[in-house]
Amino acid sequence: MNQLKLLSIQGLRTEFPTPDGPLAAVNGVDLEVTRGDVLGIVGESGSGKTVLGLSIMGLVDRPGRVTAGRIAFGGTEITNYSEAQWQGLRGNRIAMIFQDPTTSLNPVQRIGVQMIEAIQAHRDVSTDAARQIVREAMVRVGINSPDERLEAYPHQFSGGMRQRVVIATALLNEPDLIIADEPTTALDVTVQAQILRDMRRLCRDTGMALIWVSHDLGVVAQIAHRVAVMYAGRIVEQGATEVMLKSPSHPYTAGLMASMPANAPRGQRLVSIPGGLPQLSNLPKGCSFAPRCAHATTACDVLPELSPTSPDHAVRCVSPLQERS
Amino acid sequence: MLAFILRRVMQSVVVLFVMSLVVFSMINLVGDPVDMLVNPESLPEEIDRVRRDFGLDQPAYVQYWKFLTGALAGDLGNSFIFGRPALALMVERFPATLELATSALIIAITVGLPLGIYAGLRPNGWGTRIIMGGSVLGISVPTFWLGLMMIIVFSVILGWLPVSGRGETAVFLGIESSLFTLDGLKHLILPATNLALFKIAMVIRLTRAGTEEVMAQDYIKFARAKGLSSKRIVRAHLLPNILIPIITVLGIEFGTLIAFATVTESIFAWPGLGKLVIDAIVNLDRPIVVAYLLFVVALFLVLNLVVDIIYAVLDPRVRLQGEGG
Ligand SMILES: Nc1ncnc2c1ncn2[C@@H]1O[C@H](COP(=O)(O)OP(=O)(O)O)[C@@H](O)[C@H]1O
Ligand code: SF4
Ligand SMILES: [Mg+2]
Repeated sequence: MNQLKLLSIQGLRTEFPTPDGPLAAVNGVDLEVTRGDVLGIVGESGSGKTVLGLSIMGLVDRPGRVTAGRIAFGGTEITNYSEAQWQGLRGNRIAMIFQDPTTSLNPVQRIGVQMIEAIQAHRDVSTDAARQIVREAMVRVGINSPDERLEAYPHQFSGGMRQRVVIATALLNEPDLIIADEPTTALDVTVQAQILRDMRRLCRDTGMALIWVSHDLGVVAQIAHRVAVMYAGRIVEQGATEVMLKSPSHPYTAGLMASMPANAPRGQRLVSIPGGLPQLSNLPKGCSFAPRCAHATTACDVLPELSPTSPDHAVRCVSPLQERS
Repeated sequence: MLAFILRRVMQSVVVLFVMSLVVFSMINLVGDPVDMLVNPESLPEEIDRVRRDFGLDQPAYVQYWKFLTGALAGDLGNSFIFGRPALALMVERFPATLELATSALIIAITVGLPLGIYAGLRPNGWGTRIIMGGSVLGISVPTFWLGLMMIIVFSVILGWLPVSGRGETAVFLGIESSLFTLDGLKHLILPATNLALFKIAMVIRLTRAGTEEVMAQDYIKFARAKGLSSKRIVRAHLLPNILIPIITVLGIEFGTLIAFATVTESIFAWPGLGKLVIDAIVNLDRPIVVAYLLFVVALFLVLNLVVDIIYAVLDPRVRLQGEGG
């Protein structure tokens, strides 16, 4: 089993200094991704999903930084990599796709230039050879007439097309892992569905692993084998997608599910979880969900561990919800 | 694009006409040039004769009409002092000023751009503090004071560089310039640097602001996620984006360089337009002053137009819009 472990994160903590003290955007996260795995990460906006992805890429904005924990990739610890080592890894073994396709591409450079440079940063190939690789990647993500597209500028593309360019760019060096940070959130529903389908196919065909980040549990359920639910920088529930959807054990996960449009009874308004995220620089000392939780008791004043409820299911709650019958 | 240029040229002609009216009225308010042209002890008949010879006895609107019809035929009148066409005098002096302003612009860019990028990439570094401190100095210390200090230090105390004048010139590719002789270059360094100081500070500020803004963009983050080196990011993604506003501003500032050259030329006795007009103002040599002021207005109009065209060429979004419509 161990050699299949592609990404292994232990106790990861990423902090930003603020006037009110350090803000832990990622607060003790443990994660594992095996080869070919599709892991979904869900949580409302501000829960630390993007910072988690950036931490894995060594791209956390200064003055923020990883202050504790370890990240191992392909069996090698990368936590303390130098900038040159990170550059060798980024876009090569681990690629990342960002949320807004309209801003991910440089407006004044041709698409071809922006894709070819991603290859030549890692491989000593001629521009012609690189262009050929680019064409193939474009076809794989469903971009027609790639030769014409190579000469175009980003603003000549629709949002969905730009995101396909970004995905194709991520694929260029055949990475072992792609971190997709809400890549379809800014797109309309039809395009989102197409991209989801394409990404599923690409993962199956290439065997690359995928971390799919979203605030929408419904989207994640369509693509992920496993789901991790994040709340205020911590993972509060983790497990195989079917198990989690069938029996969410954390009150927050249950709340997320109740607020999915598909789960709302016809004609009724969506139930949303009352309240908002706690201030990250000033977390409650026990369970950080307690201020919003209907099941909170004094027992919740001590931070619960993420503990298994079944072989492929773990939850961070003192009184997990019972399995639904 | 052609329609755009035509429209702008028409607008420029109107502006130029209005400015000629303003300049002509203003100049008729200050002093009587005849006082400068004749010996104060001359007989009244003598004074009247000079007044008639120069057409200064006629009403202002007649003088203006004469000036306007002359100007349309390319004749801006004769200098009262030199007795030669004002236009010819200006054309004679212009290369020296152009040489000074161009050298200053080149110095401003080659010094300001790298310093500004450095400061923008390391907003909190000590190097940045020194650069920004220096640029505050460059903006707040008056040009003439710095010019005098430069003469005192480099010419008088150290004796490295000549105090004044243009030095030897040579003809290269049909252009006569002091850039082509060692003596000429020695004469050029101090005045060009003096004229450039203010602009260096400006370029640093513009570049730093642009760098900070661009480096925070998603496409820079995506470029880093591709594993590009910092050098490549600066060259392919930062520079093309910050150059657009910098070129725009500098293009327009080139006009102010030529205008500000009056001060520098006076300090360093640089035989350019600026020195010509300062002398003309002192001697109430109206035709030269009018011709110079209209020339500066025309220069600003042309520069603005050229900058808009360059801007359109550099920025594909503007360029392609133009092609489409
Ligand atoms: N560059 C930054 N500087 C300061 N705080 C940041 C920065 N980036 C993210 N944060 C903070 O980290 C927390 C998590 O943000 P993020 O990871 O973007 O959430 P998500 O992606 O889940 O919406 C937020 O409270 C946010 O304010
Ligand atoms: S630990 Fe307590 S407060 Fe937190 S989710 Fe569980 S029941 Fe609610
Ligand atoms: Mg995010």
